[in-house]
Amino acid sequence: MKSLIPVLLALLLASCVRMPKPESFFQLDASSAKYKALQSRIVEASKEQELLSASAAVLQDLGFQIEESVADAGMIRAVKERSAREYGQEIKRFFVFVLGVFARTVTLVPVDLHQQIAATLVMYPEGNSTSRFNVRIVFHRTLWMGDGTSGNQSIPPGLQTMEMIYDPEIYRQFFARLSKSVFLEIHQI
Amino acid sequence: MNVKFVIILFIFVLQACSTGSTKPPKPPENLLSLSEAQMKIRSYQTRVFDISDEEKSLHAVVSALMDLGFIVERVNVPMGIVTAAKFAGKGYVAFVEATVVVRPKGETQMEIRANALFNTKPIEDPKVYQNFFATLQKSLFSI
Repeated sequence: MKSLIPVLLALLLASCVRMPKPESFFQLDASSAKYKALQSRIVEASKEQELLSASAAVLQDLGFQIEESVADAGMIRAVKERSAREYGQEIKRFFVFVLGVFARTVTLVPVDLHQQIAATLVMYPEGNSTSRFNVRIVFHRTLWMGDGTSGNQSIPPGLQTMEMIYDPEIYRQFFARLSKSVFLEIHQI
Repeated sequence: MNVKFVIILFIFVLQACSTGSTKPPKPPENLLSLSEAQMKIRSYQTRVFDISDEEKSLHAVVSALMDLGFIVERVNVPMGIVTAAKFAGKGYVAFVEATVVVRPKGETQMEIRANALFNTKPIEDPKVYQNFFATLQKSLFSI
C-alpha cells in the first residue's frame, strides 16, 4: 500500500494540469515576435534552390538526417537521434534511491534515455525580391523516458515528452554555418 | 457440478443469443448529407482574401502557423495544403493539429479553409478560427 501512495499522488497531480483554452491556440502572444526574431533571418542568395540545398548541407553537417524536402514550398524537415542521459537526472535518481532505502520503499525514478531533435526549415522570398529570402528554422525535441520502480510497482518505460528549443545559441550556430555555406556555394571556392 | 463450469456455460448461452437474433443497425439516412450545423462550421472555417498569388498565400499560411508556434509537417504546393501541429499549454499537455487549404476563387481572390483538432477532437468554436484568420491577415499583409 505504501508503495502505491507516490503513484496515486502522481496521478492526482497529473489530473490537476490545467488544459489551455482552444481560443489561445491561434492567438499571437507576447513571445511570438521574440521567437520569430530568434528563428528567422534574411539571407541573400542568387537562387532559392541553391539556398535550400545549402541549408540541407548545413543540417547534414550538424548531424541531421533529412526526412522530407519540398522544393516548391522551400521546406526541409530533418531529425537526429541522440542519447538524452544527463548527469543531473542520474544524481537525482541516486539520491531518491538512497532516501527510498531509508524509507524502506525502493524507488527508481525514470530518467530520460533517448531524444529525437527535429528541425523544420521554411524559406520564401522576401517581398518581391528574387535574391533575398526569409529563412526560418524551428528546433524541437521529443524525449523518451526509461522505466522505473516504486516499491513493488513498476513504472513503464517509453513515457514521452516534447519541448520546443528556444536556446539562442543553437539558432545562432545554424545561421552562422548557413551564411558561410551560402558564401561558399555562391562563390564556388 | 463445478460452479465455474456453470458460469462459463451461461456466458456461452448468452453469447449465442446475442449473435443469432440481432441485425446490424441501419445507418442513419442523413449520414452523408450536409446538416445545417456542418454548413455553419464550414462557413466560419472558410475566409476569402483579396490576393491573387497562390504561392504567396501559401507562404503566408506557413508563416502564420509558425508564428503561432506550430510545427509545419507537410506542404503540398500544387494542392495548396498545409498540415501543422503543436503542443500547447503548460507541460505541453494539449496536442493541436491544423490543416489549411488554399485555393483560388476567381481571378483575384483566394479561398482559405482551416480546420483544427484539439487532442484529436474537432474544434468547433468560431472564435478559434477568427483568431487564426486575424493572424493570417497580418501575415498576408507583411509577406
